[in-house]
Amino acid sequence: MIEARELRKSYGEREAVHGVSFVAETGSVLGLLGPNGAGKTTIMKVLTGYHYPSSGTALIDGMDIVEDPLAVKRRVGYLPESVPLYQDLSAAEYLDFAADSRGLEGAGRRAAIERSVESCGLGPVYRRPVEELSKGYRQRLGLAQAILHDPPILILDEPTTGLDPNQIIEIRALIRELGREKTVILSTHILQEVEAVCSRVIILNEGSIAAQGRPEEIGETLKGEERARVRLKAAGEGDRLDARRLEALFARLPSLRSASELREDQLCGVFSAELVFSPSSQEPGELLFDWAVANELKLLELERRRLSLEEIFVKLTSEGGAK
Amino acid sequence: MSPVLAIARRELRSSFNSPVAYGVIISFLLFTAVSLFFLSAFFTMNVADLRQYFDLMLKAFAFVIPAITMRAWAEERRTGTYELLLTLPFTEAELVLGKFLAAFALALVAILLTIPVPLAISLLGSFDPGVLVAQYLGVILAAGAAVALGQWVSSLAKNQISAFLGAAFAMIFLVFINALANFLQFGGVLAAILNWLSLAFHYEAFSRGVADSRDLAYFIAFGVLFLYLSTWNLTRRKWS
Repeated sequence: MIEARELRKSYGEREAVHGVSFVAETGSVLGLLGPNGAGKTTIMKVLTGYHYPSSGTALIDGMDIVEDPLAVKRRVGYLPESVPLYQDLSAAEYLDFAADSRGLEGAGRRAAIERSVESCGLGPVYRRPVEELSKGYRQRLGLAQAILHDPPILILDEPTTGLDPNQIIEIRALIRELGREKTVILSTHILQEVEAVCSRVIILNEGSIAAQGRPEEIGETLKGEERARVRLKAAGEGDRLDARRLEALFARLPSLRSASELREDQLCGVFSAELVFSPSSQEPGELLFDWAVANELKLLELERRRLSLEEIFVKLTSEGGAK
Repeated sequence: MSPVLAIARRELRSSFNSPVAYGVIISFLLFTAVSLFFLSAFFTMNVADLRQYFDLMLKAFAFVIPAITMRAWAEERRTGTYELLLTLPFTEAELVLGKFLAAFALALVAILLTIPVPLAISLLGSFDPGVLVAQYLGVILAAGAAVALGQWVSSLAKNQISAFLGAAFAMIFLVFINALANFLQFGGVLAAILNWLSLAFHYEAFSRGVADSRDLAYFIAFGVLFLYLSTWNLTRRKWS
C-alpha cells in the first residue's frame, strides 16, 4: 500500500507538487492522469526515492520514504518515463545487472529472469545489444527490469509509450494482472488507458489533485454534465407555449441541472434550449420524452451533446479547479 | 553479490563492450613507452633507472584517468540511467564506491600491462626489486587518487566533454603545480602549500623507490576526500 500525506516538492522557487494526499491500496491500479507538467512524474520520483519531498511524507507498505529509503527501494519496481537502458549492454546483461542489484541468486534468479522475459515478450531479442532494439522492445526491457524481483509495489511512468497497438493491449493486460496482487501506480495522459487498466484515478493539474476516485465515479461526476439541445412546442391544438411557462415546466424536469439559451423560433411558439443534466440512472432522452408527454409538450428535436473523455479532461485541467 | 561489486561489474562490462577501455589502455601504454624509448634519452643515459618511466605514467594520468572517469556520472545523467541507479536499492556511498572500483580496476589493468617494460629492461641491467615495488605502489596510489578526483568532477559535470576537461585541468594543476612553484622560485609558506597540494610532490619519493608513510597518507586521504565529496553531491541532488 502507498500512502502519500501532504506531499510537496519544489525545484528551487517553483513548487511542482502542492500538498498531494492519496492512498493506493494493495491489489489495485492507481492511474495518475494529467497534462505535461501536472506533477505526475515528480510524485513518482518522490515515491521511488529519486528525490526527497520538500515537506509531507509518503509511506510504502508502512515504511517512510525518507527514513527508510533502502527498504522502500527493495519493495518497489520502477519504470521511469525515459526508459533507463545501458546502450553498451545486451538485454541479457542488462537484466543480469538488475538481478545483481536486487540481490537475486541461484535458481530464484534464473526463474525471475525467465519470468520477466516471458511476461514482457523479450525472448526474440534477449541476446541482442540494447542499442539495436526497437523503441517497443526497449520499453518492454525497462518493464522487465521493473518487475524482475516480483516487487509488491510497481511504479510505472507512461508504460505504454512507444508500443504498437498489439503490444499496448499485451502490456495493459499484464499490468491488470499484476494489479490483482500488487499496488500499481501508473501515469499516463491516455484516457483510454485509465479506463482499460486503472481501478482508481487521480487527475492532477498544476501540481494539485483536480479529481480522484474510481474511473466510473469520476466519469459520472464529469460525464454527468450531459447536455442536450431541444426544440419544443405545446402539444394541444391552439395552445401556445411561452417562455415563462416553459421555465416553470423545466423546474419539473427530473435531473435537470440548468437550462440556458432559451429562445423562441420566429415568435411561433417553438422554443429551443440547451439543457444540462445531473448524473442519473435514466437517459436524458427518456427523461425528456416522459416529461414532455406529461406536460403536453411536443419534442420536435433532441440533440444529445455528450462531452467526450478528452473534453472532460481538457475542461478539468484547463479551468484550474483543483478540488 | 554485494552492491558495490554489482555496480563495478556493470561498469566494467560497459567499458569492455565499447572501444573506450581498449582505447584508453592502448593510449596509455603507447604514450609512456614511446616517450621513454624515443623522445627521452633513455638508452644514451646508460643507467638502468626507471624513474623517468614512472614520472611519465603520472603525466599520462592527467589525460588517461579523466578519459576513464568522464562517463562515470555525466553519461548516466545523459542517458537517464542515473534515475535507475538512484532508485535501485543502493546507498549513495555504494554507488560511488562501485564506480570507483571499476574505474580503478581499469587503470590497474593499464598499469599492470606496463610490467613487460621493466622486465625487458632488466635484461640490460640489474634493478632493485624493492625500488620497483615502491614505484608501482606509488603509481597505483596516484591512479586511485586521480580516479576519485575524476569521478567527483564527473558528478558535477553536465556532459562527458566537460567532465573530461574539468578533470584534466585539475590533474594538470596537481601534477605540475610544484614544478611551477620551483620554476617561479616561490618560497616559504606558499611553496610549502603548493608542494603539499601537488600529486607530483608526494609521488616523487615513490618514483625514487622510497615509500614514505606521509605520502601514503596523502594519497589515501586525497582519494577518500573526493569519494566523500562525490557521495555528498549525489545526496545533495536528491534534496534539490
